[in-house]
Amino acid sequence: MARMKFLCDADRCIECNACVTACKNEHEVPWGINRRRVVTLNDGKPGERSVSMACMHCTDAPCAAVCPVNCFYTTADAVVLHSKDICIGCGYCFYACPFGAPQYPRVGNFGSRGKMDKCTYCSGGPEPDFSTAEYEKYGSNRLAEGKLPLCAEMCSTKALLAGDGEMIAEIYKQRVIKRGYGSGAWGWKTAYRETVAI
Amino acid sequence: MRRVTTLFSTLLVAAMLVAAPAAFAPVQAQNPIQADGQNPMGARPTADSVNEELLFKQESKIRGRISIPDGKAANLIQPQGREYQNFRERWLPWIGALAILGMVAALGAFFLFRGRIMMEHSQESGKKILRFNAFERFTHWMTAVCFIILSLSGLNYIFGKRLLMPLIGPDAFGALSQWAKYSHVYLAWPFMLGVAFMFVVWVRDNIPSKVDWAWIKAGGGFIGKGHPHAGRFNAGQKGVFWMVAGFGAAMGATGLMMLFPFALLDINGMQVMQVIHSLIGIVFIAGILAHIYIGTLGMEGAYDAMGSGKVDLAWARAHHDLWVEKEQARTGSGPQLKGHPAPAE
Amino acid sequence: MLIKRKSGEAARTKHQAVAAGLASGVLDRRAFLRKSGLTAGALAAAGTTQLGSVRKAKAAGSSAVGPDTVIKKNVCTHCSVGCTVTAEVVNGVWVGQEPSWASPINRGTHCAKGAAIRELVSSDRRLKYPMKLEGGQWKRISWDQAYEEIGDKLIQIREKNGADSVYWLGSAKFTNEASYLMRKFAALWGTNSIDHQARICHSTTVAGVANTWGYGAQTNSYNDIRNAKTMIILGGNPAEAHPVSLQHVLSGKEINRANMIVIDPRFTRTAAHATEYVRIRSGTDIPVVWGILWHIFQNGWEDKEFIAQRVYAMDDVRKEVAKWTPDEVERVSGVPGEQLKRVAEKFAKEKPATLIWCMGATQHTVGTANVRALCILCLATGNVGKPGTGANIFRGHTNVQGATDLGLDVTSLPLYYGLVEGGWRHWARVWEVEYEWLQSRFDEVPAAAGRKARTRKENMEAPGITSTRWFDAVNLPPEQIDQKSPVKAFMVFGHGGNTVTRMPEAIEGMNKLELLVVADPHPTTFAALDARQDNTYLLPICTSLEMDGSRTASNRSIQWGEQVVKPAFESKNDYEVLYKLAQKLGFADKLCKNIKIVDGVPEAEDILREINRGGWSTGYCGQSPERLKAHMRNQHKFDLVTLRAPKDDPEVGGDYYGLPWPCWGKPEIRHPGSAILYNTNLHVKEGGGTFRARFGTERNGQTLLAEDSFSRGSDLTDGYPEFTFGVFKKLGWDRDLTPEELATILKIGGEKPDTVSWATDLSGGIQRVCLEHGVSPFGNGKARANAWNLPDPVPVHREPVYSPRPDLVAKYPTRPDERQLRMPNIGFSVQKSVVDRGVAKEFPIILTSGRLVEYEGGGEETRSNPWLAELQQDMFVEINTGDAAERGIKDGQFVWVTGPENASKAKVKALVTDRVGKGVAFMPFHFSGWYQGKDMRDYYPKGTDPVVLGESVNTVTTYGFDPVTGMQETKCTLCQIKAA
Repeated sequence: MARMKFLCDADRCIECNACVTACKNEHEVPWGINRRRVVTLNDGKPGERSVSMACMHCTDAPCAAVCPVNCFYTTADAVVLHSKDICIGCGYCFYACPFGAPQYPRVGNFGSRGKMDKCTYCSGGPEPDFSTAEYEKYGSNRLAEGKLPLCAEMCSTKALLAGDGEMIAEIYKQRVIKRGYGSGAWGWKTAYRETVAI
Repeated sequence: MRRVTTLFSTLLVAAMLVAAPAAFAPVQAQNPIQADGQNPMGARPTADSVNEELLFKQESKIRGRISIPDGKAANLIQPQGREYQNFRERWLPWIGALAILGMVAALGAFFLFRGRIMMEHSQESGKKILRFNAFERFTHWMTAVCFIILSLSGLNYIFGKRLLMPLIGPDAFGALSQWAKYSHVYLAWPFMLGVAFMFVVWVRDNIPSKVDWAWIKAGGGFIGKGHPHAGRFNAGQKGVFWMVAGFGAAMGATGLMMLFPFALLDINGMQVMQVIHSLIGIVFIAGILAHIYIGTLGMEGAYDAMGSGKVDLAWARAHHDLWVEKEQARTGSGPQLKGHPAPAE
Repeated sequence: MLIKRKSGEAARTKHQAVAAGLASGVLDRRAFLRKSGLTAGALAAAGTTQLGSVRKAKAAGSSAVGPDTVIKKNVCTHCSVGCTVTAEVVNGVWVGQEPSWASPINRGTHCAKGAAIRELVSSDRRLKYPMKLEGGQWKRISWDQAYEEIGDKLIQIREKNGADSVYWLGSAKFTNEASYLMRKFAALWGTNSIDHQARICHSTTVAGVANTWGYGAQTNSYNDIRNAKTMIILGGNPAEAHPVSLQHVLSGKEINRANMIVIDPRFTRTAAHATEYVRIRSGTDIPVVWGILWHIFQNGWEDKEFIAQRVYAMDDVRKEVAKWTPDEVERVSGVPGEQLKRVAEKFAKEKPATLIWCMGATQHTVGTANVRALCILCLATGNVGKPGTGANIFRGHTNVQGATDLGLDVTSLPLYYGLVEGGWRHWARVWEVEYEWLQSRFDEVPAAAGRKARTRKENMEAPGITSTRWFDAVNLPPEQIDQKSPVKAFMVFGHGGNTVTRMPEAIEGMNKLELLVVADPHPTTFAALDARQDNTYLLPICTSLEMDGSRTASNRSIQWGEQVVKPAFESKNDYEVLYKLAQKLGFADKLCKNIKIVDGVPEAEDILREINRGGWSTGYCGQSPERLKAHMRNQHKFDLVTLRAPKDDPEVGGDYYGLPWPCWGKPEIRHPGSAILYNTNLHVKEGGGTFRARFGTERNGQTLLAEDSFSRGSDLTDGYPEFTFGVFKKLGWDRDLTPEELATILKIGGEKPDTVSWATDLSGGIQRVCLEHGVSPFGNGKARANAWNLPDPVPVHREPVYSPRPDLVAKYPTRPDERQLRMPNIGFSVQKSVVDRGVAKEFPIILTSGRLVEYEGGGEETRSNPWLAELQQDMFVEINTGDAAERGIKDGQFVWVTGPENASKAKVKALVTDRVGKGVAFMPFHFSGWYQGKDMRDYYPKGTDPVVLGESVNTVTTYGFDPVTGMQETKCTLCQIKAA
């Protein structure tokens, strides 16, 4: 089985936000919930880079560890998913997440949070693949269709890579060798406790 | 609000609970390459781009600009989540278990050693004196009920998945936890109200005095014979009062921060709040266990004070002699069986 | 994108899950998503807004059978890159988008807009039915009533004030077919005042480039940039405006380790990826380009052979360039000489080098001159007509190239046939309408204010009023407007109202109109202002994704888009509305004489066939609908870099993707299109070519024809003029014509058959024979470094009207006041007054404007798309950190931006950033719906207001027009900013 990862090549990312709207489009994510976002570092200054970020589907995911109700699980593809039936919206996973991935719809009084929502790596949830229930709660399940997350598939400059960790690391490596520079695989050390060695 | 924040900062520093040096650090990253305003000529954006390593040297997390209004989304990477995870999953369960089970064990040992402290009889036995009026008792019990539910639902956040979930299965546990969360969120309000009421009603009688020192030196009468002097509340009770007031305020404040996440704090602030909330909560629970013990099982006659509100005059004379004298002087009569309850003041 | 978890298709897909919900007849997709865990927890009650829509609710219950997913391909409407959109349609509902892997242009990718385009169609904020304004209130009306009332008013206005008193505005969102139909419509109505967005984006490019080497279009393609070793992006921010193009740009940069030089006043998202960034003062492009050329000439880095063979009068340029020493360039533009020397050396020596520009170069009072200077830079270094070189002009909308080609332009007929008798007669023949009848439709213009009267014929040949001046043509005293009457009625199709500068005056103009009709999927800014009470109509037009037709991308590739879903609500497509309106106005039979009508709607394919029959001049003749559709079917066969399909393919063998024009001759001869213009290294039959011999054969004793340069395999090995039947006879090539072709030529030529040319020969014979002989039908000329017919034959620097440097105005003044395109252009007087009044002291900040990746154009449709709107929720002004500190302005706070005209002001949020230099501010141009601090949301018809509203930058922009095209100045004016 593949070990699925995301890699954003910041030397290609131009903050076009296609990944953000592709995600909204694919899963009908409502206003205010951003499963993916693009952050620009050093904005307006030489050295500026933009990085697209969502759930990185960490190795030994902190969100899963701190969850008081153990609603997280990791698939055979190493995708970190969760069950909205079990989630209680406590917010701990957000405190633990190094990437700010968990999102909570506001559903009640004094800012109380609804069930957590995050990037599913376009692979749905615990319900049966392609079931209506799965689609309603988590959005579509592209991985089960043999497709990869739409954000990466639609990335305008092919900066955002998705797929087996070793393969996308290899693609990134080739690029860095070809062009002679690279600002690194953002978040890999934190998420996967490894970097792409060039 | 500012005072609240300051309080937290103080608490944070004082407690030195976690290593989160960046929580309130200045937010603006320094730029590795300075633009010279008009024409940053010679700057080679490609070669000199920012990278993770460099940015982590400047700050403990990587922040940038984002166009959506959600400010916390501007944090790209914040590895402190791993430290938080470490605390919550590796340390907190042990701290919690040790504190609570430790207190239970200590109380058990004390019970074995000392047994139940029995009432001493005198000619005043059988006469009653009003110790807590209806409002005081209402406040106490409202707070107490809330506290118990908050404690259980709170402990569920730490121990539920370890103890309960294997027993009842994930679905039932999920539903239960959901209700636990709602009760935790909603009962926080009456609890905070109760703590506030108790503070106002009882603060006057809980100001430490010389008598308390003597009481402590005498071991509070738990050890050995005879009762040291005590006012309406003895030093032990004052301790409980200040614990409830202090911890209650801290729990309320940190809890409010979590009820309104990111209203005042950033992600590291939220982590710190969660850590403080859980640690104080555990100590609080342990402390209240002792309070419950002494108010019920540990001492005969103590429960009546919060039960009916009226206590045996002999018991009162023994445990709160100064208060009884003052009370009798004030009313100019013997035991009060009828008449107005003491005003709450 | 790269790896699939498992190969093959799954048995069921998500769409079947969706479809099951649809088919159940209870819920539509959106409704049942609303129940989902995404919006509310199971235990928590959440109030959500109702977003139901008429059509989808209907579709929901339409089928009980397990429906299939149908794949439809169309083209994204949001810029000119031409990304294929792959739509998944279930039961007539557009349920999902998939990456368009097969397209060689976007290869599966999209930008934020393309990835969100489904919502453009599904949006419930669209205009749903025709509406009219009655006493300031919007009322729903029927289409029939709309046609009746609008038609009656038009006839009435025409009778009273003449044909020119109705202004027609078309759209770059039109298909080629709709553009053509509307240009024809205006011709039959009898006016040349028909324009579209190209006026305000690349009209100066078209004028400048066409006047240099023949055609006004991108010479190469996005994909070809992969071949470049050096690229200069000047006045463009493709990272935001054309994100998918960056895929090719950055790939090129990586593969070739290419130099990527960005020249811009603003450190843009594009600049962040450059190898060199040059910050210039806005409006000093010519000094910078001449500064680069100064180093090139000084060091002898120019391509002398190329200049000798293919360029006319480069010496005239040398004289002008000599004045631009590094010191003078730095004094005027702020760019140090050393940096420009580095840029010059790379551009001239590390070849192939390409020059990319956008509206930063074009939207100036010197727009045409800027473009000319850029072309000359390419010519001097020999960087034209080869892979990896060229003027890669990135255009703005899906079909702004096509709409320009097809004549939504006040100066030409479809496909650049001039407004001369020959041009009119050509189209009269194609349309089978009598020339005399066409002439009779035009106004006679009486003499006024010392100007001579114009006959109908003269008026027919006089360019119309540009869209940048439509309100001046309403507001100014009648004697100043060079036509029968000022503009009284305004017919706007698919065009925003906030896109013209000087909004306060535009609103005054709106107020005075006797009739305003807005035909658009959205109400647009026109509907959101309090200027009008009555006589205003909104016609719901479907989006271009809901109609068939072809679109021409910036690289001239033509792509056929198929209708994804039927038009939503009561909306109708442009073909139908134009046809019905023509019926009411009495010329529908002429409009669609040779066009098939299916169910009351002209058929797109048949319109394209008519274009093919008349589109010789630009090579729009070979792209039949059948060929274009074959290309869409076979997208995956085209090469990523060359855009060419393998020769042995049965359907598209040897073709370039989208048959980029010129695609010579009739479709049957299967010319492959021309991926790179003027490429002499290829045979004309293979898409090669020469510079167009458009400007004669000789001037001042110098030849205008190429010398010792010709395209590969050419029978003529030197320069040659454009081909006519007369030239053919001299060469003896007339014998190669078939009898049918000859008969057609003789019929067209009548008494003067020798004048029948490659552009007017309806038989296609001349072009066919030219290809056989390996020559370009349009001749083999030299590109012009000196374009003597332009106001500044060799570009000279001229300070902006609102110059931040009054000290330079005396030396570099703008052009004298003059009448252009029926209107006075008083730029010189305004500039003088600006200097005299010391405006630059009171308004010390240079204001420039541009695009955001999330929005497009006037922004109405994109701001109505919540997926996009969420990403940019406030109109803002970028202000430099230093300027903000001086003014006590903090990031995110409201500020007032005030302009020097009309006491204009705009309330926007401050974005404090070093993207802009000190003394410079930037505002995006997509916002409207606030006006001078007032929220105008209530003025929209209920339920059609965009999600995000904001001030329009054009509220504070100022006077200034290019003398050639009437382009407005949006990139350089002055403003002041203070905390609100």
